[in-house]
Amino acid sequence: MLLVIDVKALLENIKAAPYEEIVVAAPHTGTVTFAGIETGAHVTGITGAFGEKPGTLLAKLTRENNDKPLFANAKGVVGVVHRELEGRFVEAGTPLVVIRHYLSKDEVIANILQKVLYLFCAPERAKYYFIPSIDKKVKASGPRSVTVKPGLELFIVSRMKREKPLLYEGPEGIIYAVYFQHDQNVDQGAPLVGVCPADQTDLIQDVVNRVRTDWEEKE
Amino acid sequence: MEIEKRVVELTDRLNYIKDIFGGRENANIALMQARLAEFSSREAAAAPGEKAQMVRQIEDLFAFLENKLDSELVPMDMVRIVRHPARVSLKDILENVYDNYTEIGGQDEYSIDPSMLIARAYITRRQGDRVVNQPVMVIGQEKGHGQEFRNGGSVKPWGNAKALQYMKVAETERIPIHTYVFTPGAFPVEDYPGAAQQIARNLYEMGGLRVPVVSVISEGGSGGAEAIGLSDVRMMLSRGYYSVISPEGAAAIESGIRQGQRVVPELIAECAKRLNITAADNLRMGYVDKVLEEPALGARPHHYDFFKTLRQEVIQATDQVFLGISGFKLFRALVASRRKSGDSESMFVRWTLDDAAADRLVWKRYCKYRRMAETAYRDGRPSGERIASRAKSVLWSGYSFIRYDFLRKHTKNLAKAAGDLEAELRLVAHKLMAPLRKTRDKNAPVVCDPAKSRMLTELSQPEQGACLEEFGWSYVSPKAAEDRAVTCPGAKTYGCPDLWAPDLYGDFAGVCVNCGHHFPMEYQWVMGNVFDPGSIVDYDADIEAGNPLDYPGFEEKLEAAKKKTGLKSGCVSIDAKIEGIKLVSTVLYSAFRGGSVGAAEGEKFIRALARARRRHYPFLAYVHGTAGIRIQESLNGLIQMPRVTLAVRRYIEAGGLYVVLYDTNSYAGPVASFLGCSPYQFAVRSSNIGFAGPGVIRETTGVDIPPDYHQAHNALARGHIQGIWDRREIRKNLKQVLLTIGGRNLYYR
Amino acid sequence: MSTKKHKVLVANRGEIAIRIIQACVSLGLDFVCVYTRADEASGHLALARSLGGPNAAYRVSSYHDANEILAVADHAGATAVHPGYGFFAEDFRFARRVAERERSLIFIGPSWRIIRSLGDKINTKRLARSLSIPTVPGSDRPVYDELEAEEIAETLFAFQAEQGISNSVVLVKASAGGGGMGIEEIYDIEQFKTVYRRIRNYAKRQFHDEGVLIEQRIFDFNHLEVQIVADRTGTGIVHFGTRNCTIQSTGRQKRVEIAPGFRPQEVDYAFDAEKLMEDIVGYSLAMAREVGYDNVGTWEWIVSPTGQPFLMEVNTRIQVENGVSAAISRVRGQGGVNIIAEQIRLGLGEPMGYDQSNITFDGVGIEYRIIAEDPANRFTPWVGRIDQFLAPTLPYASLHTHIPMDEPYEIPTEYDPNLALAIVWGKDLAEAKKRGVDYLDELTLSGADGTGTELKSNVRFLRDKTSTILQF
Repeated sequence: MLLVIDVKALLENIKAAPYEEIVVAAPHTGTVTFAGIETGAHVTGITGAFGEKPGTLLAKLTRENNDKPLFANAKGVVGVVHRELEGRFVEAGTPLVVIRHYLSKDEVIANILQKVLYLFCAPERAKYYFIPSIDKKVKASGPRSVTVKPGLELFIVSRMKREKPLLYEGPEGIIYAVYFQHDQNVDQGAPLVGVCPADQTDLIQDVVNRVRTDWEEKE
Repeated sequence: MEIEKRVVELTDRLNYIKDIFGGRENANIALMQARLAEFSSREAAAAPGEKAQMVRQIEDLFAFLENKLDSELVPMDMVRIVRHPARVSLKDILENVYDNYTEIGGQDEYSIDPSMLIARAYITRRQGDRVVNQPVMVIGQEKGHGQEFRNGGSVKPWGNAKALQYMKVAETERIPIHTYVFTPGAFPVEDYPGAAQQIARNLYEMGGLRVPVVSVISEGGSGGAEAIGLSDVRMMLSRGYYSVISPEGAAAIESGIRQGQRVVPELIAECAKRLNITAADNLRMGYVDKVLEEPALGARPHHYDFFKTLRQEVIQATDQVFLGISGFKLFRALVASRRKSGDSESMFVRWTLDDAAADRLVWKRYCKYRRMAETAYRDGRPSGERIASRAKSVLWSGYSFIRYDFLRKHTKNLAKAAGDLEAELRLVAHKLMAPLRKTRDKNAPVVCDPAKSRMLTELSQPEQGACLEEFGWSYVSPKAAEDRAVTCPGAKTYGCPDLWAPDLYGDFAGVCVNCGHHFPMEYQWVMGNVFDPGSIVDYDADIEAGNPLDYPGFEEKLEAAKKKTGLKSGCVSIDAKIEGIKLVSTVLYSAFRGGSVGAAEGEKFIRALARARRRHYPFLAYVHGTAGIRIQESLNGLIQMPRVTLAVRRYIEAGGLYVVLYDTNSYAGPVASFLGCSPYQFAVRSSNIGFAGPGVIRETTGVDIPPDYHQAHNALARGHIQGIWDRREIRKNLKQVLLTIGGRNLYYR
Repeated sequence: MSTKKHKVLVANRGEIAIRIIQACVSLGLDFVCVYTRADEASGHLALARSLGGPNAAYRVSSYHDANEILAVADHAGATAVHPGYGFFAEDFRFARRVAERERSLIFIGPSWRIIRSLGDKINTKRLARSLSIPTVPGSDRPVYDELEAEEIAETLFAFQAEQGISNSVVLVKASAGGGGMGIEEIYDIEQFKTVYRRIRNYAKRQFHDEGVLIEQRIFDFNHLEVQIVADRTGTGIVHFGTRNCTIQSTGRQKRVEIAPGFRPQEVDYAFDAEKLMEDIVGYSLAMAREVGYDNVGTWEWIVSPTGQPFLMEVNTRIQVENGVSAAISRVRGQGGVNIIAEQIRLGLGEPMGYDQSNITFDGVGIEYRIIAEDPANRFTPWVGRIDQFLAPTLPYASLHTHIPMDEPYEIPTEYDPNLALAIVWGKDLAEAKKRGVDYLDELTLSGADGTGTELKSNVRFLRDKTSTILQF
């Protein structure tokens, strides 16, 4: 399998829309009180050496006499604030704020890599876990320490309280990116891991380097 | 050439003066500066002889003015003196006070901790015609005149461990120890052996060292000073300071500033004054035995006379300790106590001691510390009651002796004989019955004993009622009365649901059912739910926290705390029972000035320990929370570290069981002494245990620490504590501890 | 009913939510629903909107979060909460919170203290024993003493031998455990010590409690239950007969329920089945009276092949299979009965209004739980899209489902793949069985999952099991 990668075109594509809109929705029901944020304001995501500092306070959601702060989870600029909901009771999932998040270098790289790596996708909607031996390896030395080949028992599929193994199918290579999160449902067809065939690692590294030099991060 | 050198020297002296006066305007300093400037402007034109004349004049002026300035020193200047790179350091002392020395385990930066210096040294003395080299172990912090790797004398935990190791060596070699305290404070990292835990260990061991310890304090910064400061004679250099906290730290707390902000220098200076940190202050309060006069504006390496005085003083102090404990005192003790300093070498005292002397030494050390800070708290009891309680404690000692030592021994012997006899009889009976048992028919129809089968189908123990499970806890937190939901801090990581306050603070005992996070509860929760209902008797409630230094504004704060809690100090002493086992417990609770420890709290601890010792009860220190030593009491608080630790040691050595249980947040002094010295320290889940908080660590080490740095599980992983308990199982675990661990002298064993 | 018009919050989903909404409407009550994003296509949401308007349903983050339910209840002005079954139905803390919060609501179910004491199996067993109600032989409280435990086990073997049970088995289980963890069987007293210590140590490690229960294991039993209905006064208390729930999946999940519990008119039993049913009904009522039971509940029994009943547990909630009891019951002067409606009516404080003599039973009812699962493969749930779901409309059959019949439906992975409950009635067992089989034969159910695999359901399993109904 040879990939002809037009990194430049991919980059141009992304440059045309260099941000993504993050909709901050009410995680649960409650009465909304917005913090003093306005359209155009800069917000930050989680920071600190240990991720211990929360992002900018966006709003407060009060439910059962319990005020719960709602923080921005990514750096960006406030697009829309649904002020009309101030002081109102909202249902779970109601959009409150839209943040325009400019892609960072790492995000652009991840974005492009998704287009060039071999993606092994979820055969069904379920929760996925690495099998314990691989999980240990990933946690200890990162996903790139794992080499996969067809027929390797890679995942545990957990659905409706039952678990079954899932074998990897696809080219042999190392796991370059992991797209699923622990304890979260993955939709059918969504990628689980991105695999880089052994003979293409240089190519991939080249892509990464190109992005690093070409991409300028915006505030 | 020679003149040039003298001028440089004068310039240095002037700069030093400017440094220690911290940029304060002063007419004398201005004069000195003017005269020096005048000289340099006229220097070129002057003849050599004239120059020498001028320099001599300036030198005289300097000497005169330095003496004058010395009397103008304010406490903050002392702080600047001891921190100045020009100040004498331990190396200077080793060079100039002792006749020979070998540094152990260090060559500049090549050392496990270059800020802790250990040396074997000797002092040469004359006995008649013979020359005697008297060996000592010298231990102290080395500031190294600003050498970076010395870390300013801020010793890391392993540095203090090294100090302890060589104190034990000195004990084995039976030579006295001289410690020199030159530290702004301990380096507050938790890496094994841990700042707090190691200081606690040092204090505990020093409390029982069977050789004399003489200490000299130049810079006595809080816990770091205590780590090597517990001694039989404590001397202080006259321009030194000895304090519970740095003036900057006190000012930061006082002004309530946030991270990264600066405190105004005036407030820092004011705090230095309020804290009573000078040698004179500490002598007045009784925390040092003697003040050693320094040259004007503080001793520097060129003050050779000073070293001579120092030598005389340490020799005399060591002599005094030896004579004080020797069985054969004679005339020399009298002379030693009366002679003036300076002629200590005129008389010879052998620095050796036998076991009996060592026992006396340790006992005297205990008594010395026991007597400290006795006026720093308020005792509300009428004098009649005080006498009665003392008499009662004597009675208890006697009763305990008869009950547990004398009688028990005999009852035990009787019981043992009876037990042996019974076992013999059983064996005989078993042998006799054996043939009978064999003949029993295996195929006989099975018949179930109707009495037994009833056990399978009918209600067992009907007297307990049908429903076995009791409902909830006997003490329920007032927080459980609120109708509100509470978010668990673990919600983000573990997806915990919001909990309803009456469930959380009521039935769940403040524990998140999903992730097990423990929300802080009041200390009354443990009092009400861990001990047997109705078994709690409190005492010493009249010992009251005071304001011994008349610290401005503190009286009001104390009053507020007393009003809020309805108690007179941050410590509650109780007798209680756990499943019938009687014990003594002290509770340090955070609602009273953050659970800080002052003279009153220390005194209550010591009395409770004595009570437990006399009655042969186990002892539980339940630390609901402590922020450290109460800084407004300064040394009156700080001295509780060695003082209470000595009492703990006395209790443990008497065969007791000293258990410490940490809840919520426990930091600083108490953890670094009488709590941390326990071999059995446990923590309630989600509690934090450590030496210094994250802010202080960032300030002193420049490193950001992870949010869970002080969490109990990390303390356990580092070996600081011995176990983590679920709050709901404290009672069960304590029962287990009482039954399985502890010394030989517990009444219920 | 009181003059104030009640508004009931339906704190559940699926079939039961639909039946609660319908019951509220039939009683003239207001209602409000909750739903999650995954359930946006569920029939209960559509029904709520069509009967109650756009404000009758609130989107919440989870059915499991009490805060969501109560926040919605306050905003919608609900005065009562119906928990359905599952979720909060037997959660005494939820019931307590509903009743004791500042803005208190009526919990439609037994009062929380009753849920609490009967929710605990050991308490239930002790309560039963204090009233001389038969329970499974063995300990009725956690045993902590090894010698005592061994004596109980020893006696249990002797007890079974005396009763002529050849394959005596004793269960040793951690009293704080559940769900099959920390439980072992022993066949001989020689094994006891080893097993006991293993379980005790496991319990100590796992639950921080060393308590162990020792019980006889009963084989080849039938699973019967008694439907109790009581009003808030505790004096108006009746039963709606028995049910037999012996047909279960491998995971001990009920699949087919029949009312009444036995049918001596048509099936031969080795014991007096009529008397046995009377006995367990009597016992259940006695215990309900004793605790002051004040809503609907089910007393679950196991009956040994020799006709000995043992009380297992009490379910303090409406059960899935309530409809099958209703199918054979009539109340004089009222006609058919809807147990869910009765639960709401009584839960809101109305008196019973009739007594046991007004209740009559007629015929046999069978309830089938139609579930997307694979009986051949340990009843593994199947998730995918249902394209076609057709059921016959017959006077003697009813179908309860939240699945829209007129459009495809995606089964959410978040919840159990229960599709529908089908209840058929016959004048006798033979007729009911025949109607049941015919009904299942006529049912059309098709669909596929993402990989194209065809829908798997248990319809065939249910049909095959019908022949064994009510037999030992």
